[in-house]
Amino acid sequence: MADAMAPPARQMGAIAWLRKHFFNTWYDAIFSIIFAVLIFWGLQALIGWAFVNAIWRVENKNQCTHDAGACWAVIESRGRLILFGLYPYEEQWRSTLACFAVIITIALSCLPRFWSIRRLPLLWVVGFGAFVLLMRGGFAGLPLVTSEKWGGLSLTIFIFSGVFVIGMPLAVVFALARRSSLPVIAKSTGFFIDIVRSLPLLTILFAAAVIVPLLVPEWLQGSKLMRVVVAFAVFFAAYQAEIIRAGLQSTPDGQAEAASALGMPYWSLVVDILLPQAFRNTLPSTINQAVITFKETSIVTIIGFFEVMASGNAAIGTGEWGNQYIEVYVFLALIYFVFVFGLSRYGAWLEKRMRLGHA
Amino acid sequence: MKSILTTLAVAGTMALGSVTAVQAKGQGLLDTIIERDSLLCTGHNGSYLGFAEVDGEGKWQGFDIEFCKALATAILGSPDKLQIIPVSWAQRFPSIQSGDIDVIIKVTGWTMTRDTELGLQYSRPYFIGPFYVMSKTELGAKGIADLEGGVFCVNAGTTVERVLTDYMETNGIAYESLAFEKGEELRAAFYAGRCDAIAGFGPFLSATRVNADNPDDFEILGDVLALEPEGIVTRQGEDDFMDVINWMVSALLMAEENGITQANVDEMKANPPSASIERLLGVTPGVGTRLGLQDDWAYNVIKTVGNYGEIYDRTIGDGSRYKLPRGMNNLWNNGGLHYPLVLD
Amino acid sequence: MAACTTRWFWTDHTFGAAFDVAPNHFGDRFMSQLFASQKFRRTTLQVGFAIAAALLIVSIILTGQRNIADQGIATGFGFLERTTGWPMNFSVIEVSGRSTYARVLWAGLLNTMLVGFLTLVFATILGLLLALMRVSSNTLMKLVGTIYVEVFRNVPVILQVFFWYAILTHLPSPKQAYSIADGIYLSNRGLMFPAPSFSGNDLLLLALAFVALCIGIWASRDRFTATRRWVGAAAIFGVLCAVLLATGREADVPLISSPALKGLRFVGGISLKPEFSALLIGLVLFGASYIGEIIRGGLLSVDRGKLEAGTALGLSSFQINRLIRIPLAFRAMLPSLTNQYVWLMKGTTVGIAIGYPDYFAVVSTSINQSGQTMELMTLLMGGFIVINYSIGFAMNMLNERIKLKGRS
Repeated sequence: MADAMAPPARQMGAIAWLRKHFFNTWYDAIFSIIFAVLIFWGLQALIGWAFVNAIWRVENKNQCTHDAGACWAVIESRGRLILFGLYPYEEQWRSTLACFAVIITIALSCLPRFWSIRRLPLLWVVGFGAFVLLMRGGFAGLPLVTSEKWGGLSLTIFIFSGVFVIGMPLAVVFALARRSSLPVIAKSTGFFIDIVRSLPLLTILFAAAVIVPLLVPEWLQGSKLMRVVVAFAVFFAAYQAEIIRAGLQSTPDGQAEAASALGMPYWSLVVDILLPQAFRNTLPSTINQAVITFKETSIVTIIGFFEVMASGNAAIGTGEWGNQYIEVYVFLALIYFVFVFGLSRYGAWLEKRMRLGHA
Repeated sequence: MKSILTTLAVAGTMALGSVTAVQAKGQGLLDTIIERDSLLCTGHNGSYLGFAEVDGEGKWQGFDIEFCKALATAILGSPDKLQIIPVSWAQRFPSIQSGDIDVIIKVTGWTMTRDTELGLQYSRPYFIGPFYVMSKTELGAKGIADLEGGVFCVNAGTTVERVLTDYMETNGIAYESLAFEKGEELRAAFYAGRCDAIAGFGPFLSATRVNADNPDDFEILGDVLALEPEGIVTRQGEDDFMDVINWMVSALLMAEENGITQANVDEMKANPPSASIERLLGVTPGVGTRLGLQDDWAYNVIKTVGNYGEIYDRTIGDGSRYKLPRGMNNLWNNGGLHYPLVLD
Repeated sequence: MAACTTRWFWTDHTFGAAFDVAPNHFGDRFMSQLFASQKFRRTTLQVGFAIAAALLIVSIILTGQRNIADQGIATGFGFLERTTGWPMNFSVIEVSGRSTYARVLWAGLLNTMLVGFLTLVFATILGLLLALMRVSSNTLMKLVGTIYVEVFRNVPVILQVFFWYAILTHLPSPKQAYSIADGIYLSNRGLMFPAPSFSGNDLLLLALAFVALCIGIWASRDRFTATRRWVGAAAIFGVLCAVLLATGREADVPLISSPALKGLRFVGGISLKPEFSALLIGLVLFGASYIGEIIRGGLLSVDRGKLEAGTALGLSSFQINRLIRIPLAFRAMLPSLTNQYVWLMKGTTVGIAIGYPDYFAVVSTSINQSGQTMELMTLLMGGFIVINYSIGFAMNMLNERIKLKGRS
């Protein structure tokens, strides 16, 4: 057994604070020094590369030597290709507007005011609809731009929001079916969900792109982009269904029993009582799933879509800017980071709020 | 109860749907294209320099793209009725099998497996592509044998992969191959020095070289790996459509042979110098209908994209930044391998 | 299904009740009561669902068959016996242009499993370190851990893989390779290092000896102390290796093969190709940020009282971590960890983007070269289902073994 400890020392003032946080024990001190050096060195190198020694504009790309610092001129010269992909040059303002429509939709749906089982779907249908109309055109003098030409960030956003709009209702159906008291329906839904979850997203999307047309009648095929979005939505739904199921399970049985005792019909029970609570309880996981989905949209680059990842690679695929690959990848990473970090911070904030019992 | 009926109804419609879909197959692809009023042609998932590349404004251009435009013009009268679908090398055959695209114009080599087992049909070659190897000048290689033990980059799922394997095995040269799905990654890896050489089409290699920071760093070796005739591909059994493709290629060659260009086609049409040109440009009625097209289809094509020589020149020849010599892709009377069919 | 339907049908009370009503209304009343019966509704719904599902599947199969027949595409698995005609850049087993499709596909599957397995191991180790950093009381360590997690978790894994691949291929060429230590070289062809030049048979023997030793250690667990067992096992293994080296070796082959520059490449030793390394680095760094968060969650879920109990018993903080915190946390986080492992295994498919011949890439090339789309997609999906179900199965076994018995 240990000896009796001395009474704790007075812990106040800067030195005590430093001691507590950095030099608690001898190995803490060593780690602190190592990490301090590491952080200092990393920051210095980063700032030197990205700002101090960076070249922002060039007349001639040969001015970009890739030794000293970043050459951000590549973004100036190739930025529009990265952001808009194959979208017609003169119409790119539409692509920008469309992106804002979806970003505003995402921002609005983060506000608790919109958290209702009727308002939220409506908001998304309007936002998504505006996006598609703007991108596609073909009315009011806007030239038609078919989905083969969509590209860059707006394609990424389209895939993300399309997956969300189609996948969310699908996830609810899957979750309810898996929770069904009818064994055949519950078991086969469970089997389907488990299979989908054990397949890589890429193989599902590949199958949707090349196999589905062989298996379904022509009128059901749609364009390749639509098929891929629907397949992605099914994948998303298989994951989201499990989250919703957990939420449904966390609502006390008594509530459902009380509702049926009151003679509430099944759909009203689901829509008015179970789902709102299930969603509310699992909001952080849902946002986490949205974050993962946003990142995974980058996978479609492999099956031949010009989303932001592919157009970024196209920007450095020519010899002209081939050496500025780090700049382009950092630029792409920043684009993803802004979306994903924002969403995940929001999720963390919600989680905290819920733990305090506000949500 | 309602839900049961709904499910049954949906299932029934699905079953019926598949039957109607099969019946719809009776209609030829050419009619389908005309009905749809647009042609679905291949692009690339990225850029295949010189043949299908995306410019800074996101527009498609290149040799293959011009042929897509020519075909769309021949059938539908306008190059705007064309949808370029980006597909990778590996996806082109599944895509045509599934009906995602109508036609593959993507320098696709005529091989026996593809012709017989994949259910594909080839047009007469519209391009003859010799395979070469390009390496770095600093390696000082004179021939492929000097690259013993080197890493060769190729496009995944192309005939190059097999041709290279054959050549190296025949000549007993040890090597390592590295296959990429996309042209961008292949080029990036080569420029960075991940591979000592790229094996591929002569034109593609020249384009890659021209596109490099300093073209003199790279050198195309003299050894020819193999020669490959490239055809335009569609599904087996689309004979009407294949006729149009073959005669479209022939018309472009015939126009060049007879000196008909984008600039003088109107004049030629007004005063045709010979009876065969009269037929080509649709002055004599009835030529187009034999193919199921408008009579002035060839006139439209030449007016839109020019003759074979002009297309070549604009995209990969002297008029482009790649400056490829015509070589065997010249007309027969200029020492090349191309010739028009007889338009009677 | 049918037999089952009939059985309840006759025993259901609604039917008995139906006999008592007037015969001319028998049909109407019977039907309406039948539908009011919950059992009937339930069964009809399920039978309807099953029939609809079956119809859907049959219709898909029929459409598929007809479309394939219409287009004259060859079918069947006969192509597996044919040779491919193209080589593979990286493979655990010997593969050339003369290998059959079956062998090449197997090689692809092994490549996926290799990179997947290594990813799981390294990502878990790094993740554990990150988690410990993030829960430590040292503010700087916490800061570095947090920055790491936020940066690597919020960027798509494919972008990270591209990034590392670009870095690795922009290293100098073999002739100007960095020499890190004697015999270890780093160039844009990968990392080369010396390796004992064992033949395949030697390796097999060593592997067998290793397995035998493991069984021995396990079997003798009650007879000796742990230290003794391990020391003994190591000694026996050493002697075995020595005997093997002394007897089974060919005369001219050096014991250790070191990489040496010869012409365009390094000959000898082992090389880690940039495609493999970039994929592994990308997946490990990305996976560690997620696994780190899962482990941190697990660590934080451990009841403070248990840790305080440890302190009260006079255990050092290291002992508390090893004996109380980590074992308890491990149980709590196992389910999420399993999901993450499956996810990482699936994530290996991005290898195709940088030319790593994983299972997906090999299947994709095979589809293009042989045209057997359906058959190959079936093999592809089957392969991943087997791998991922195995992971799930193994983790469940582990869970069964370690879960707290009785009271929790």
